[in-house]
Amino acid sequence: MADPGTGLETLLQVIVTFLRLSLFSLGGGNTLLAEYHHLSVDKYHWITNTQFADIYALAEAAPGPSSMIVGLLGLGAGWHHGPLWGLVSGVSAEVAILLPSTVVMVMAALSWNRLKDAPVRVAFEKGLGPVTLGILFSVGLTVLRTADHHWLAYVVSAVVCALMLFTRISPLYFMLVAGVLGGLGLIQR
Amino acid sequence: MTQQQELARPPSRKALFGGMLQVALSSFGGGMSAWSQRIVVEQRRWMSNESFITGLTVARLFPGPNQINMAVYIGAQFQMLAGAIAAVSGILLVPFSLLMLIGMVYFQFHAVPAVDRVLTGVVAAAAGLALSMGFKILDVYWRDPLALLLAAITFVALEVFHIHLIPVVLCLGPVAMLSYWPRGGKRG
Repeated sequence: MADPGTGLETLLQVIVTFLRLSLFSLGGGNTLLAEYHHLSVDKYHWITNTQFADIYALAEAAPGPSSMIVGLLGLGAGWHHGPLWGLVSGVSAEVAILLPSTVVMVMAALSWNRLKDAPVRVAFEKGLGPVTLGILFSVGLTVLRTADHHWLAYVVSAVVCALMLFTRISPLYFMLVAGVLGGLGLIQR
Repeated sequence: MTQQQELARPPSRKALFGGMLQVALSSFGGGMSAWSQRIVVEQRRWMSNESFITGLTVARLFPGPNQINMAVYIGAQFQMLAGAIAAVSGILLVPFSLLMLIGMVYFQFHAVPAVDRVLTGVVAAAAGLALSMGFKILDVYWRDPLALLLAAITFVALEVFHIHLIPVVLCLGPVAMLSYWPRGGKRG
């Protein structure tokens, strides 16, 4: 692993990284997952590939918005300098990813009705959907590549994907069952 | 119709924080937007159902996590940026604290073999979730060749040419908006 620098350096790196990405979290924020992976694993070496996959699963399984994964990435980045740095960095990461989009959203909340028939609103509403669609497929593949390295793991992912599309069962049950299978040693990385 | 009910007085920042805290606690098992509708529209009568629905649309469209954007929308209606921050803090306080706790436990113990084995399974299931996200909204665009083309170009740019997300969105976003710019209609 690369030299992590000082705690303060890591903290600043975390804040700048997530401030920059905030306004690109289209489609509810999941579009950023591949970028999170690239930055936190490949570029800044905050966490390992396996840790990223674990953190993603934890954020999905825990109650509350799964976009809070950013807090966990910050935590992992600061963890090299001790738990306190981890916490500070985790909270800062979450504030940084939310602040710019919140400011834009406040402006949108106050002005959107006035733009009712404006062409720019129509184009915005219709145009960003297809781009989001393309990003989400790429994100799905990235997470899959990060998470699974054994054929059985791929099978589990494919089955869960199908169940998500064709049933309305809560994904928590799928994670629970897969966790048990993993605990029994039936699924390998 | 229930929408005819009189609205309550505009909430203070403290009330916004408390209301969204209640939403977060109620929706621990999921279904956050249904819970926030129940609490914000039906119980506390802060806004009409109509403006709540508008909020959901705006929250989905703009950058940021949907559920958090919805809290921003609700807070901003009454107390501008301060209200938005109060509402977001309310909705995040408990789940985020919990997640930080889980994270600290994870970084302390993830090397324990038993923990790692269980996580291996959970991770494979979670990857299935990630894979389903694109398919989930695919049927919306299925009959729209232009949308499929734009989605395909985006996908290829990211996956085949390994261009980063920010330049991709900055280039293809405007192209997509121009492709869907309403034509002909009545313009001032």
